[in-house]
Amino acid sequence: MDELNDLFFAYSTTIGVLGINGLLALSVWLTLYCGQLTLGNAAFMGIAAYSSALLTMRADVPFPLALLIGALLAGLVALPLGATVFRLRGVYLAIATLAFGEVIRVVILAIPATGKGQGLVGIPPTTELWHIYLSLAVVTYLLARVRLSTIGRAWSAIREDEVAAASQGIAVRRYKLLAFVLGALIAGLAGGLSAHFNFALQPDEFGFARAVQILVFAVVGGVPNVLGPLLGALLFTVLPEILRSLQEYRDIFQGAVLVLVIVYLPRGLVTLFQLRRTRRLQRVGAADVA
Amino acid sequence: MTKRLIGIVSALAVLLAACGGSGTGGASNAPAASAAAASKPDIKVGVAISLTGVGNAYGPAQKNGVQLAADRINAAGGANGAKIQLIIEDDQSTTDGGITAFKKLVQQDRVAAILGPTLSGTAVAADPVAQSAQTPVIAISNTGDGIVGKCSYGPCDYVFRVSLGESAAIPETVKTVKAKLNLKTVVLMYAQDDKFSSDGFAIFKKALEGAGITIKKEIAYSKNDVDLSGPVTQAVAESPDAIVNSSLAGPAIKVLQEVAKRKPGLPVIGGNGFNTPALAASAGAAAEGAISGTAWFIDNPSTENKDFVAAYKAKYSADPDQFAAQAYAGLYVLLDALKRTPNPNSVLHDKLKAQIELTTGVKTPLGEVSFNKDHDVTQKVYVVQIKGGKFTPIN
Amino acid sequence: MLEQIYNAVFVGSIYALFALGFTLVFSVLDILNLAHPAIFTVGAFTALFVMQAGVPAPLALVIAAVVCGLLGVLLDRVAFAPLRRRGAPPLSAMISSIGVALILTRLIQLRYGPDLQAYPAGSVPSGVLDVGSLQLDGLRLVIIVVALALMVGLTFLVRRTPLGRQLRALAEDPRAARLLGVDVERAIAATFFISAGLGGVAGVLYGFATNSPYSQMGLPFELKAFTVMVVGGMGSIPGALVGAYLLSFGETASLAFLPSELRDAFAFGLLFIVLLVRPNGLLGQKSPDRV
Repeated sequence: MDELNDLFFAYSTTIGVLGINGLLALSVWLTLYCGQLTLGNAAFMGIAAYSSALLTMRADVPFPLALLIGALLAGLVALPLGATVFRLRGVYLAIATLAFGEVIRVVILAIPATGKGQGLVGIPPTTELWHIYLSLAVVTYLLARVRLSTIGRAWSAIREDEVAAASQGIAVRRYKLLAFVLGALIAGLAGGLSAHFNFALQPDEFGFARAVQILVFAVVGGVPNVLGPLLGALLFTVLPEILRSLQEYRDIFQGAVLVLVIVYLPRGLVTLFQLRRTRRLQRVGAADVA
Repeated sequence: MTKRLIGIVSALAVLLAACGGSGTGGASNAPAASAAAASKPDIKVGVAISLTGVGNAYGPAQKNGVQLAADRINAAGGANGAKIQLIIEDDQSTTDGGITAFKKLVQQDRVAAILGPTLSGTAVAADPVAQSAQTPVIAISNTGDGIVGKCSYGPCDYVFRVSLGESAAIPETVKTVKAKLNLKTVVLMYAQDDKFSSDGFAIFKKALEGAGITIKKEIAYSKNDVDLSGPVTQAVAESPDAIVNSSLAGPAIKVLQEVAKRKPGLPVIGGNGFNTPALAASAGAAAEGAISGTAWFIDNPSTENKDFVAAYKAKYSADPDQFAAQAYAGLYVLLDALKRTPNPNSVLHDKLKAQIELTTGVKTPLGEVSFNKDHDVTQKVYVVQIKGGKFTPIN
Repeated sequence: MLEQIYNAVFVGSIYALFALGFTLVFSVLDILNLAHPAIFTVGAFTALFVMQAGVPAPLALVIAAVVCGLLGVLLDRVAFAPLRRRGAPPLSAMISSIGVALILTRLIQLRYGPDLQAYPAGSVPSGVLDVGSLQLDGLRLVIIVVALALMVGLTFLVRRTPLGRQLRALAEDPRAARLLGVDVERAIAATFFISAGLGGVAGVLYGFATNSPYSQMGLPFELKAFTVMVVGGMGSIPGALVGAYLLSFGETASLAFLPSELRDAFAFGLLFIVLLVRPNGLLGQKSPDRV
């Protein structure tokens, strides 16, 4: 029992990071499910991380309130962004959100209050594992329910064929915006939790690399259902630890895993158990995520 | 489908547990081996360094340095007969990786002390772990603020630092160049988007102003800037007596190259980012005359250093660098304290910590090392200038 | 002032060379090849490798270009072709390229370490040009000339040669192209060879200019490439050229009126605005996916 305890303690950081990655993966999954490819969620995470940290550090705001305000701020920024880019699709949307993310990063670097290049240190480490996993459970549950609701079906329809969906009277713009802002809120929540989990923040953490990483979680995990992004987050968070003994060769294996999964499991990891169904879809040419 | 999913996930979890439980990284617990030896049990020393991630430019050199030190120490009888066993973990250059590495060393391996982690950014997150476990940490490459003495996360009396902080090196550099070059005005350039350079900028600014030197302009650039001719042109246009640049080696090389094109002979002064042979190798003639403050330079003629350099070359067929030297010195400083600690392998490390605090005048390739009341290193700051491609002391 | 223009042209040329390869693959195959920065780096290191063995710089450049070209073809075989066969969307290919980039970068690090390297002393051509009162860097002039020559060559290839026609047909409509007798797989292989070859050349030239190649040297260019591609026009080769120089001149000019911390914001702000107002970019030919 002691050994299990030790093991848990040693890995508690990884387990925490896993939960946060799960939330982030879900935030991107949401937009993917609606047919939108976004690379902006790292920036939303950053906005919420910095604002919630500054609130607890400088204004003595209680932790849950700071988390909420941080997430709301991220959502608030997402609103005009989503409204302006809703017409873009595919790669163009991805690049637009990426550009936005970079602008945010540069702005954070330029504001003295954020500590600029030096980042923030001494953030109260108030996040406990149960905070993270409770949030993850609630968000997962909510998203699973939403997916089966009218909203979820509308998203699915938009993903399949936006024009057809519009012609059926679905308020495409509104649904897309909803997915976009919700995604930002979840990413913001993850940001606030993350800031108070590690003791320090640096602007480097919320750039292009992070955005791509989150996208990988969601796409490799799979878009069909809510478990996909969670699986993707699990695989890639846990993989470096499993491969720890490989040390110097770890990155090579990670790259290889990435290529193999995306090539052989078109609909994502979550379809590992649905290979027959995938084969059927492949024959019809409908096997891949939008 | 859900059932199978649960099955796979549990299998993964078990796999994770199994892999985590077994040894990882370098050598793990080996009680059997030391029990066989008639003398004392091995003293386990944890080493958490960046073998992967952005810091992996430094980790391997640190590994070499500390390994060389351990081998020589053990060949000479160890610490009062007890051999030193290194347990090397990768901190992955991230806060999470650092925290996990520290937790493993402290909780699973129960080391007597930890050397590392490589980057200052990792240290502010990982050191608190050792502090609350009351395991001494000796930083061997952190040069930022807030690592020792007054730490932002609370008490940090278990943390020590053998790597010369920029807040000690830079003022000394400024003092020296002011005297030698009769400096009155400078332009201060810096990479504004990385912590090391930003910290250095703040320290330079304070030191320059404190020395009564006018900063004519502050020019920020990005560490990712592909070309620095614009910022350097701006800097040179101010006609300063010298340019001060706070950045890592990559941008520093670019700055030197551009300055040499526009105003050859204009002195360029930098922080620890200059202290690498890559500067002279890449910038060639443009690097001549560059000045920086350093904790160590390879041609230091002291006995300890020549001995270290020769041994390093013999073992690794390569020149050591500052990171190797500081890692090597770190283990020797720890050894000194271990020798004075009655029971270094005890579960409580407060006695070891007390002995580390008393470190005075330990001879290392860095010079004589002592710790001040802030647990920070006091050693001679070498202000060096690149002459003929080599770092030469000018103070 | 002249000097600033000169440097802006130099930087723009590197941007252009890098972005050209990137844009080529995108325009023909709709793929964002995120392994391109890694190929850029492989180019610089291949040159380093052969130059350390005594090969002179110009030959090293050619060798690096060919090696990278072949690497590009290999990349396609391994990471993109299987996806293409399944009719996978470009997003999958982008993710796949991320994996390849990780592997390539790590391999370089394992061989050379992650630190800055330097080309053998004296092997990189250098020299100074006296233009009026200015002393301009001679190496940069060579780089500008080489880059321009390659750009002209590529434009010629795409506009005037049969292969170029095939590539354009492929970009237009792969199925129709196949029906019309285009050997699609061969055309794609040629696309990757050219794209990666250009990327490799860009890497070597940039490596020479800074004399400090390192394993992550491609990353700063990755984001710039997006800007170049979008501003100039997705899928347009002359557009990429225009975009590249617009970006480099814009960056230089913005030093004058923006605080240096916000300089990056200029590039991305520009990118964002262009996407909203004119997603075709300045010279774009592909109609964007607009609804």
